[in-house]
Order: sequence, then structure tokens, then C-alpha cells
Amino acid sequence: MKISYNWLKEYCDIPVSPKELAEKLTMLGLEIESIHEPGKNIDNVVVGKILEINPHPQADKLVVCKTDIGKGEPLQIICGAKNMKVGDKVPTALDGATLPGGIKITRRKMRGVESFGMMCSPAELGVADDAEGLMILDPSTPIGLDIREVLGLNDVIFEIEITPNRGDWASYIGLAREICAYYNLPLKIPSFQFFEDDEEAISISNVTIECPELCPRYAGRVIKGVKVAPSPEWLERKLVSAGQRPINNVVDITNFVLLECGHPLHAFDLNKLNEKRIVVRLARLGETIRTLYGEIRELKPDQMVIADGQIPQALAGIMGGADSEVDNNTIDVFLESAYFNPVSIRRTAKAHSLLTEAAQHFQRGADPNIVIWAINRATSLIQRIAGGRVLKGVIDVYPVKMESKIVKLRYERTKKRLGVDVEKQYQKSILTNLGFSIKRETNTEVEVQVPSWRHDVSLEEDLIEEIARFYGYDRIPHTLPKVRQTEVTFDTTFKKLHNIRSFLVNKGLTECFSWTFSNPEIVEELGFPESFLKMVEIQNPLSKNLRTMRTSIIPNILSIAQKNHLEDRLAIFEIGPVFLPNPTDILPDEPQRLCLLLMGYAQPRLWCYQDRKFFDFFDLKGLCEELLDEISVSYKIEKTDFPILHKGQSLKLVVKNEIAGYLGKLNPKISHKLEISENTFIAELYLDKLLASTPKRKIYKEVSEYPSTSRDLAILVDETVDYADIITSLKPIGERVLRKIDVFDVYKGSQVPKGKKSIALSFNFCSNEKTLTDEEINSLMETIINTLTKKFNAQIR
Amino acid sequence: MIAELENIKHTAIAKISTVELLEDLEQIRVEFLGKKGKVTEILKKLGSLPPEERPIVGNKANEIRDFITEAVETKKKELLEKEFQRKLETEKVDISLPGRSLGKGHMHVINRVMNEIVDIFIQMGFQVASGPEVETEYYNFESLNTPSDHPARDTHDTFYIKPGIVLRTHTSPVQMRVMEKTEPPVAVVVPGRVYRVDNDASHSPMFNQMEGLLVDEDVTFADLKGTLMYFVKKFFGEETKVRFRPHYFPFTEPSAEMDISCTVCMGKGCRICKNTGWLEILGCGMVHPVVFSYAGYDNEKYQGYAFGFGIDRMAMLKYAIPSINLLFDNNIRFLEQF
Ligand SMILES: [Zn+2]
Repeated sequence: MKISYNWLKEYCDIPVSPKELAEKLTMLGLEIESIHEPGKNIDNVVVGKILEINPHPQADKLVVCKTDIGKGEPLQIICGAKNMKVGDKVPTALDGATLPGGIKITRRKMRGVESFGMMCSPAELGVADDAEGLMILDPSTPIGLDIREVLGLNDVIFEIEITPNRGDWASYIGLAREICAYYNLPLKIPSFQFFEDDEEAISISNVTIECPELCPRYAGRVIKGVKVAPSPEWLERKLVSAGQRPINNVVDITNFVLLECGHPLHAFDLNKLNEKRIVVRLARLGETIRTLYGEIRELKPDQMVIADGQIPQALAGIMGGADSEVDNNTIDVFLESAYFNPVSIRRTAKAHSLLTEAAQHFQRGADPNIVIWAINRATSLIQRIAGGRVLKGVIDVYPVKMESKIVKLRYERTKKRLGVDVEKQYQKSILTNLGFSIKRETNTEVEVQVPSWRHDVSLEEDLIEEIARFYGYDRIPHTLPKVRQTEVTFDTTFKKLHNIRSFLVNKGLTECFSWTFSNPEIVEELGFPESFLKMVEIQNPLSKNLRTMRTSIIPNILSIAQKNHLEDRLAIFEIGPVFLPNPTDILPDEPQRLCLLLMGYAQPRLWCYQDRKFFDFFDLKGLCEELLDEISVSYKIEKTDFPILHKGQSLKLVVKNEIAGYLGKLNPKISHKLEISENTFIAELYLDKLLASTPKRKIYKEVSEYPSTSRDLAILVDETVDYADIITSLKPIGERVLRKIDVFDVYKGSQVPKGKKSIALSFNFCSNEKTLTDEEINSLMETIINTLTKKFNAQIR
Repeated sequence: MIAELENIKHTAIAKISTVELLEDLEQIRVEFLGKKGKVTEILKKLGSLPPEERPIVGNKANEIRDFITEAVETKKKELLEKEFQRKLETEKVDISLPGRSLGKGHMHVINRVMNEIVDIFIQMGFQVASGPEVETEYYNFESLNTPSDHPARDTHDTFYIKPGIVLRTHTSPVQMRVMEKTEPPVAVVVPGRVYRVDNDASHSPMFNQMEGLLVDEDVTFADLKGTLMYFVKKFFGEETKVRFRPHYFPFTEPSAEMDISCTVCMGKGCRICKNTGWLEILGCGMVHPVVFSYAGYDNEKYQGYAFGFGIDRMAMLKYAIPSINLLFDNNIRFLEQF
């Protein structure tokens, strides 16, 4: 909301500068978004009168004018505008003038003819966007007057953001009331008068309220014989300063009164109302209304309308109808001032996407007690400006009297809540200054009646906030609380996830952070199994590509790989939730996942890595193994045909018979399609499963004081034999003395027969009781060799 | 024999004085002092000499042996020293070359900041709580005193999943979930993703917030101020100034917004702070009685505060990141900066 400092001063003798006021209002809870001084950068611009317009000898698009500026000789000014004529008065920037944006005007030659200034458009003065032609001033404007004075630019405009609870602030009087309360000043409510005719309003028109719970009060006045015309300049200027467009005097007056006191009014053309009467009711099935600007809207039966004897003529409290609008031919006016239920207004305004000024005021809650003042204020202005006979009496239908709330404040409570001792009398005076009236009081508490404009106050806490605001948030001390603990643990994963993150970062991976949305088409195209397509869908997504919640992080990390495909080495990961619909719960499951991606070279391009190798399956597997060891989880690995991965280089993790993740080489079909390196390796680990399983307990194993002995063995087996099976078969041998088996070479190729592979193993023997003898070790090796030859048809090399 | 010994001595000295390599010196030592060395051979022959000559030749031989031994030792030291000098002179590397590294990893700046902030609150005695990102309207709005027709809902452009189910627009619903689980005292912080239908230079449809909730018998507004000032000074630095302004949130009363002195211009006024010298970073207040009644807490017995702020904004301010979109763009050149 735009607020003019000069206009505000009409209601309140502000004792401080605009800047101080802005600071004070900020500290009272009104957010000043910006402070604008429209005249600040304008200097040496006066009213000029065009005496002559002659063609420019050198340029078709320019003219040479003679302009009288009230002193000295008329100035010769070159001008490119077309909209002026001789006799027009226009803003004239003189030699040495400045304009908004730091523009300086000096005399200069234009195409060989000297120009002694510039005549300005509204845009050049920064008062409107119109840059098409010169700003033509009212003919009565005195020549030579400073333009800032003429246009009221010696002002300060505050852009204020008003919180939804304080609709009462959204007007000049509302704002002035707060300022007066704070500085303890009288509020200057404008006085006015008008003359009522003998003819009774009620004899011409009447009002029926069919839905009193939605419209507890409706007041109307009839004004006959008005002369609709443009508004006087002072009125237009006020509307413009608030960012509104002047329409005609009657409509402008209703808008002015809204700005002044915050109460929306509406003026109907009385003669366009069927039966010249008003019915406040809910819309009937199938009814429509043509609102201002001509749009035809279908009405729903829960939407309140202002109808005449037959059809809806306005969307109550939101927008008038085009069929009964006041136009230049209007003679008789029916003026409306009502109180509408905020929720009803809000619903209807939302349904029609019509958050008009009026709707905004009503949905925050208007002041039922200002209804009559507002209609009379507007009536007086209409009579003064547009003439007309005001018929006798306000038609005031008020079937449901709105009661003001009574709220109790215990003075001690203020201290308990705020942590500061505010003196009793001070507390009370803050409330009374704000318009709360004391209904009952004792030494320890007070009961106050809430002013009719304060819909936000209904509890003791609300009163405490008023005291805190006026006492000053900045004067409340700051203390550190004693934080006591509960026995309940609310979260067990935050730190665990952070440790995983730290582990991977220390391993040289970089963490990513993606939006958790996904596009099911992409998921399908990548070839994810059916189950991944059961997704949580968003009804109102930002775009089609972001219309579901992800069921896997893999599509995210692949798109990151694509985005960074120019990097020859990428080692990244992301930790975050996926969203899996749960048939037995209204909310989906949101398990945490870890997605890893290794792509391109395993080493950076650096002087010391002359012979760089590509990442391979075992880089990824090794990383995952270390991580799983770090979080101490017991798991199994199994072969998998997860379609995202290369079926010959992939595996799945199994924890307690449940899938706990996949890892492997990216399916070459996908890397081809995405145009990323074929050396791309991906893992998605199900952290919920991995972290939920009880960590393996680490137990001390005796460190032998006897030396250990190693023996190497190379065997030749079918290439289909898995290393893991070999190791498993050797487990029972030499328990407690066969400490470790390492595989230090695996070879397939020209040195071994086709279909075979060579595996070189190193066995480490050690006993806790003694130094093992050669004979003992030899016999163990013999058992090992026998087992391998028997089970795997191994040949010793 | 004496003459022979003298001769050996001279030969040895001559050889030792000209030798340049340690291996050669060792050969010389063996040649003269080894098991079959020239001096050793003479000592072996002592027995065949007449008894009266034995001590004279013996003494001389021992003297010469000691002499050569010392000469060898001295030479050895000298040669070693030379060798060290040579190593020091020749084994030079270009120390300005970068060290061998497989590439350092980088934690995402949001998580880095999130963890840093969580640690500050953990230090004060808070614990972490979490809740679902797909949330019911009841937890996201209603139980937080924001019924469906409340104007405050206008400020939350909400993603809907189905009637009654939304993507949470703030981390505040976790307040209610936590309070339902236990009676006070409650002291939690809730970091997490939140969602709003908004996407432009300064908004992302997904962003991160942190919620804080402290409820006990005597928690005051002054405590709220103290807690947040402590946090801000720890996070942004001791010199940071803090300002609390009245504001409105449906779920707190009194409510406040907290500003910090602009981290760019240090409060002098700049484009970032719209020349005010202040940056708005956080909303807070005393928990609203209606929220307590939804939680089943006795408003007469308990009171508490709640606060919420954007983690992304904290990260952006701390590291002078100009646009929120950079945070979720996952450009490796951005990620590697932190
Ligand atoms: Zn600044």
C-alpha cells in the first residue's frame, strides 16, 4: 500500500520526520518496503505556456516552440512531441534543471537550432509511465510555478506492507490512529456536512438481507440528480498517488473514502436497478453476472451477491456489475456501505480470482461501526463535487448486531510471557491509547472491550502483544533459557546421514542437491522397473517435467552427469528422500537414499598421473564396501538384472532379506542415449534399510604375540567360478590359524587356456598359542589345495 | 719389517688421500685391515719373528693399523659428508608443482551450513527432530491456527497432492508432531526441505528451512531474543547486530521478525539490504494458545517460543551467493567452491 506523508498529515500532527516515522512504524510492525521522494531529484522545472509552435528547419520530427515561463523573454525550446498545441501549459525544465534518474538539462543546439530547455512528459518527471507526449497541465495553473508544488511532488511516499491480521491499518485514518496512539496525539477525523432533501430514501428504494450471517449490516443512501464528470484535480491526484486510476467523480469519491477510512463503498446507478431495490442474497443456481470490464461470470450458490429485484448486480464486497455501473449518463445514485463476512468474501474472491481492493479490505475484516460514517462522508463529497439531492435518511439494515469482544489481561501475565516487567499503569495506558475501553478492573487485572476495527484481538496473548509492541521489542531484554531435556528421541538419522556425507566427502566425492521432483516419462524411458512408476503426483506442478515426486535419485544424478559431461572426471553423490506411495497410509513413505556416481577417469589430469585409468566397477564397489564397513552393517551381495545397470557388472545389496540397494556400471544403452561417458558407475543405496539394521557389534580379537607366515598360491579355474565361492569354501579350513586370504592377482588371457582364469592368493597363518611350524603350515596348504581341486577343479600353477 | 710397515703406511695414506668413492675406500680398508689385509698379514707373521723383535714390530704394526683405521674413518666421514652434500644439491624438486591428489570432495554448501547451525543449537541443548515432506493440511496449516479460509494461506503457494495432502510449505508442522509425542519440556530444531509454487530468480520451488521450538514452564520472549542473538553471533560473527520487529504469524503471539545488520555493507546501506542496513532473516514468536490447544498442552502451565528461517538464505548470506538457483543447479564448478 502506498501512503503519502502529506496526506497522512491531514489526520494527525506527526511530530517526527518522514524518516523517523518510517523507522517507528517498522518497529510497530508495519513493514516499510520503500520510501520514495518523488520530487527529490526534480529541480528547476516550472510551468510554461506554449506561445508558438514552428517547424524545425532541419528536422521533420522536431518543432521549435516559444514557451513563456513567467519571467524574462519566452524561451526557444526544441521538442519532439506531437500532442501539444499553442496555449497549452506544460512542465518546462530550464537550463541547469535536473530530472529523476540524474538527468541534467542544459541549453544546447539540436540540428543547428538552439534549445534553452526541455518540455517534459509524465515519464520524464517520474510521475507516470506515459512517455508518449508532453504532460498537459490544467489551464488554470499559474505560469512559472515550481512543478513540484503543482504536482504535489514535495512529498514522501511510503510503500507499506500490511500483515493479513491488521486490515485496520490499510487506510489513512487507520494508520493515523496507530500513530496517534503511539505519540499520544488526538486523531483528526475530518468533519463534513451535507443537506438532506425532504424526500425519504426509503420511499424510493429499500434493502432486504436474505443472508444476515454473511451480511450482518447493509446501509444505503439515495442521491438524485448528480452530474457525473471527471473529478477535480486534488481528488484525481490523491487517487494517482495511491496508484489508482481516476474514473469519474462519483466512483472516485467511493475510492477516496476507501483510501481514507478503509471502508469499501459501492455506487449503483439507481435507475439501472430493477425495482430500484437491493436484495443481499446468495446466488441462485445458474445465475451469471457481468462484472465491470464486461466479463460474464457464472455464480455458485455459496456466493453472495447484491441483487436488485431480479438479478445480481454486484459480487458482494468484491466487484460491481457492468449493468448497474455509474457512467456519464447516470443521474440517480444508490450508495452502498455494508459489512460482509470475511470468509465468504475470501472464498468468492478466490473462486473468481478477483482479489480487488474492496475484497482485500473485507476479507481482513472491516469495521461494522464505520459503515454509517463512511456513507455519510461519501455523500457529503458527492453533494459537494457532483451536486445532487441527498434523500432523507440512511437505509440501515442491521439484523445481527455485531458485539465487540471483551478480553481479560492479568498484568502479571505480561511479565511471565515477555520476561520483562512493564508497569501496570503503563500496560493499561497502552491499551486505552489503542482504543481499548476498560470494562472492569482490579489491582491485578483488567477487562477491556476490543475496538470494532480490531478483528485480530481475542485473547490475552493478543493484548500482551500490543503491550510488547508499544513498549518496544528492542527494550525487552535478551536472556538465555534453561533448556531441559525430554526422554523422547525425535530423530536418529540426522547425524548418521551427516557422517555418511563426511565420509564420502573425505573419499573425494562432491555432494549434489537436487529438486526432489521427477518426470515419470523420463523414468520410464530410462527403463526403470514398473514399481518405480508408482509415484506421488502433484496436482498443480510447476511444469509437466516436475509433476511427480521422485522414486529414485538416479534420474537426478544422471541429469547432473549430463549437465557436467564436459568434466573428464566426476565423482558425486546425493543423499535425500524418495517418495513411495504407501497403500496403507494417506502419506507416502519417505526413505532416505544415497546415490553415487563415478564417471570418466579415476584420476584427475595431473602431472603425476601419467597413465590415467578409467573408473571401473571395483572403484565403485570398493567405495561402497568401505562405506558399509563404516556404518557396520551386515549385508549380502547378489547378482541382479536391474535394468538401469549393465547386467554383467552389477549387484544388489541385501540386508535381512530385503533389497538395500544396487550398484554397478550404467547400462551402456543409457550412457549412449544420454551422451555421457560409457565409464559411468552408479549406486543407489537404501539408507533407511542400512541404518535401521542393528550395527554389527565390534568385539576385540586377541592380537597374537607370535609371528605370522604367508604362503602364496596361484590356481587355474574356469572363468565362471566366483571368487566369493572359493573363499567361502576355505572358511572352515584351519580356523583360528588361517588369519586372512588376500587375492593379489586375477588374470585372463593369452597366458592361460581359453575359458580359464588364474587367481593368485596369499594365505596368512598365525596362531595365538605358538609359532606355527613349517610342517603345520604345509599340511594346511595341502588341505587348501585339495579342497580347491576337488570343489573347483583347480589346477595349481 | 719395520721398513715394510712404513712402506704400507705410505701406500695406504696415498690411496686413502686420493680415494673418491665410499666403495673404493672400503676396498682400501679391506686391502690393508681386512682378514687378509697387508697389516693383518704382518701381525699374523709376528710369531715367526725372534722374541726380541716381536714387541717392536708388534707395536709398530698396531700403531700403523690404528693410524690407517683412523685415516679410513676420517676419510669415510669426509666422503659421507660429500655424499650428503651431493644429495642435497642434486635431489631437488620443483616444490611449486601441485601435490598428488585424487581430488578433494566437497560437501554441499546447504548441508555444510545446516550442520553448522544444528551444532550451535545442539550445544544449547536442543535436539533434532524431523517429519514428512508430504504432509497433511492438518499439520501444515490447521493445527497451526491457519484454517482453510485464513488470509495467511495466501502467502503459502501450496503444492497439492490430493485434497488434504500437500507438500509441506514450512517445517512448522513438525512442531505439532513433536508436541503430540510428549509433554513439555520440548527443545527441538527441525531442518528440512519445504516446497512452494514459486520459481524465479529469488525463489526455488524447493528450499530448506530450520524450525525451532522450545516449550517449558517459564520460556519467555526475552529467552527467544537471547537464543536467536546467540545463534546469529555464533553463525555470522560477534559483531553482527540484531533487531526484532513486530510481525504476524498465525501460529505465534506475540510474533516477530528478526533482522541482522547487512552482511554485505555492515549496516551502512547497499543494494542487497535495499539501503536499510538490515536483512530480514527469520520469523519467530511465542507459541499461539490455539496451537497449544491442538497439541493438548495447558496454556496456563506452559509457554514456549518457535522460530523458522531459510537455511539457503543463511548459506547465501554467509558465502555471498547471489542467486538461490545456483544452489540446486549442481554445476560442479559451483559445488567445488565450498
Ligand atoms: Zn547492505
